[in-house]
Amino acid sequence: MKKYAYNEITLMQYIFLINGTQVGTGVLSLPRILAEKAGSDGWIAIIIGWLSSVAASIFLVKTGAKYPEDTLYEILIRFFGKILGKALISVYIVYFAFYAWTILVNACLYIKAWFLPKTPDYIILLLFSIPTFFVARNGLRVLGRYSELSFYMVIWIPLFFLIPLKDGNWLHFLPLLKEGWRPVLSAVPTTVFSFLGFEVAFFLYPFLQKKQHAVLGITIANTLTMLFYLFVTVVCFAYFSPDGIIEFNQPVLNLLKLIEFRFLERFDMVLLAVYLIVVSTAWIPCVFFAAFCSSQLLGKQDHSNYVIILLLIIIGVVFWLDPTWIDSEGWQKKVVKGGLLLAFVAPPFLWVYSWIYEKFRRRVSH
Amino acid sequence: MKRKTLLCLSLVAMMMTGCADQMFVEDVSLSLILGLDLDQDDHLLVYMSSPVFNKEAKVKEEKVEVKAVSIRDSRELFDQTVMALTSGSKTQLLLVGKKLLKRKNWIDYIDPFYRDPKNTVTTRVVAVDGPVSDVIFFRPKDKPRLPLYLANLVDTAYRRNVTIKTTLQEFHEQTTEKGITASITEMKKDHKIMLTGTALLDEQSKYKLSITPNENKLLRILQHKTKGDFPFTISVPMESNGHDHWISFSTPSIKTKTRVRYDNHFIFNTDVKMRVIITERLFPFNVRRDAAKLQKSIEKKMQADFERLIKKTQTTGIDPFGFGIYARAYTYPEWKKVQNQWGKAFSKADVNVKVHVTIGGMGTIK
Repeated sequence: MKKYAYNEITLMQYIFLINGTQVGTGVLSLPRILAEKAGSDGWIAIIIGWLSSVAASIFLVKTGAKYPEDTLYEILIRFFGKILGKALISVYIVYFAFYAWTILVNACLYIKAWFLPKTPDYIILLLFSIPTFFVARNGLRVLGRYSELSFYMVIWIPLFFLIPLKDGNWLHFLPLLKEGWRPVLSAVPTTVFSFLGFEVAFFLYPFLQKKQHAVLGITIANTLTMLFYLFVTVVCFAYFSPDGIIEFNQPVLNLLKLIEFRFLERFDMVLLAVYLIVVSTAWIPCVFFAAFCSSQLLGKQDHSNYVIILLLIIIGVVFWLDPTWIDSEGWQKKVVKGGLLLAFVAPPFLWVYSWIYEKFRRRVSH
Repeated sequence: MKRKTLLCLSLVAMMMTGCADQMFVEDVSLSLILGLDLDQDDHLLVYMSSPVFNKEAKVKEEKVEVKAVSIRDSRELFDQTVMALTSGSKTQLLLVGKKLLKRKNWIDYIDPFYRDPKNTVTTRVVAVDGPVSDVIFFRPKDKPRLPLYLANLVDTAYRRNVTIKTTLQEFHEQTTEKGITASITEMKKDHKIMLTGTALLDEQSKYKLSITPNENKLLRILQHKTKGDFPFTISVPMESNGHDHWISFSTPSIKTKTRVRYDNHFIFNTDVKMRVIITERLFPFNVRRDAAKLQKSIEKKMQADFERLIKKTQTTGIDPFGFGIYARAYTYPEWKKVQNQWGKAFSKADVNVKVHVTIGGMGTIK
């Protein structure tokens, strides 16, 4: 019996859901962080980060493939029993909720700094939560459709990065590996974290129509993310000098600020407004999975109430805390630490555990 | 029903933000030109020119001078006198007086352009030979309002390479990049406004040297920026009668190639390949027969001009050409040792320019 038959997602939706969750506001500052750590060789670290995220993703899918009808919730309960399993899934709920929170706060800060300096934070978040609610209260299929549609809607964005590229200087990249591999490796953790988001695949697997393509799908999603990061970083490195780029907090926005047409100035503002769609495909799945897991945990069928509760909590906390840029960076660091455990350490661990578990169980049943 | 209420709510929410935060164009004083200068006692003077949107005003432009401690401080002072609220989001030109340019750390004053996301960075940076007030309070009858006139003057002159055009963003690149020193448009007001060429700054962004429009073309060629027109009018050395031999030519294609090696000091070999079309010739000459001779003499003259320009910059210890970028790309270990005193290292370098001229056409008459 298929539990999630009415909510199956296609391979494309699967790819864009994962890709959408990975790409958020992080890319705006990524080139600067890479340049700080590894100079003009920072782009190599993206490729290394991609390899490790693909490796973790494959473990993740392989674990899921053993129990094709189970989401992470059922898997954890099967492995660790009811109490420990539920405790672990609560960790994931907190992680997703906190992840959604950091993205929402970060997006809100960008919008505030660039467009709406006088609008209170909670109003902006209220505006964010209306479409979020409409999408996240439905099933996964609607979420998948939203991610896929958003992807097609914003696919033109990279084209605009080609405009500043004509003033770029490829000599900035030479010599390759200026200081050897050490600085590149020191930048790898940053890039690894920028691939966070693929852990939603833990929950997507049972919904996927063609499960034989799961590994391919998650690899394509990671690769799309990598190509986007790499492209943006290379353009930034070519345009900005290695000494100049580290002074800008968000070099990507500074790059777009330069694009001017006769009829349009300040392209960074236009793009940032459109980019909000991209960011929304990162926070909506997080909100969805936090609510979805909570409903599973509490044994409820409908998760839409939990979406409302979570969004209200987020708005309330923003109203109370009034977050600053420095707060937001601190929270991102915390998410990243959690992500390291839940997205990069957990999949191989669960895979090994499932292997031992199966062996043990078979011996018992004989 | 539920959907309708939500829709209404979201509509209201969107409208509400518009009510609270609006700005009429009459309430904004766009500082299209911002001027920075020092008075006799070395106090910072800030000038502004902004358009007036009002039917009753006879002159559609406000010009103000204030004594302030910084640009941002000057804004408060402007607000005390100009009609509306001062905004820096559309600044077209930043005029900097030569007196200020000679001061150490003057560059710190332009920090708000980079820091405040509302400000634009495509502002043209212009050095003014003489007091900035002369330029800013100038009201020519045969020109449109000053910001439009000056912006257009710089843009079109830049297309023919009479001067350089450096936006604030490019200026930031040039000042932070260790391998190049900054170069900006230079302007002078006698009885009318004239572009006198390009002002070259040193590593601390202090004024060092001015070059003429003709030298500016050579500068652009050595910077490998060979877009736009490069018309030359030169006097070629010919053995006969001792008159000046004036010849003009346009250059449909210029290709520059720089190689660098290190042998106790940096050695740069630059090849400039030019294809010229004669547009004017003031002496009798048979181009069809003696093309090679003419090519030789143009080459000789151009080469001498290049060498003179390079010598000039080397004696003042600046590198506006960006040879340092080549040094970093191809001789990194040696570059690393001198990167913080590149000007000094460059003044000891050998720069060999080789010009290759091909006469592509002599025009429609013999």
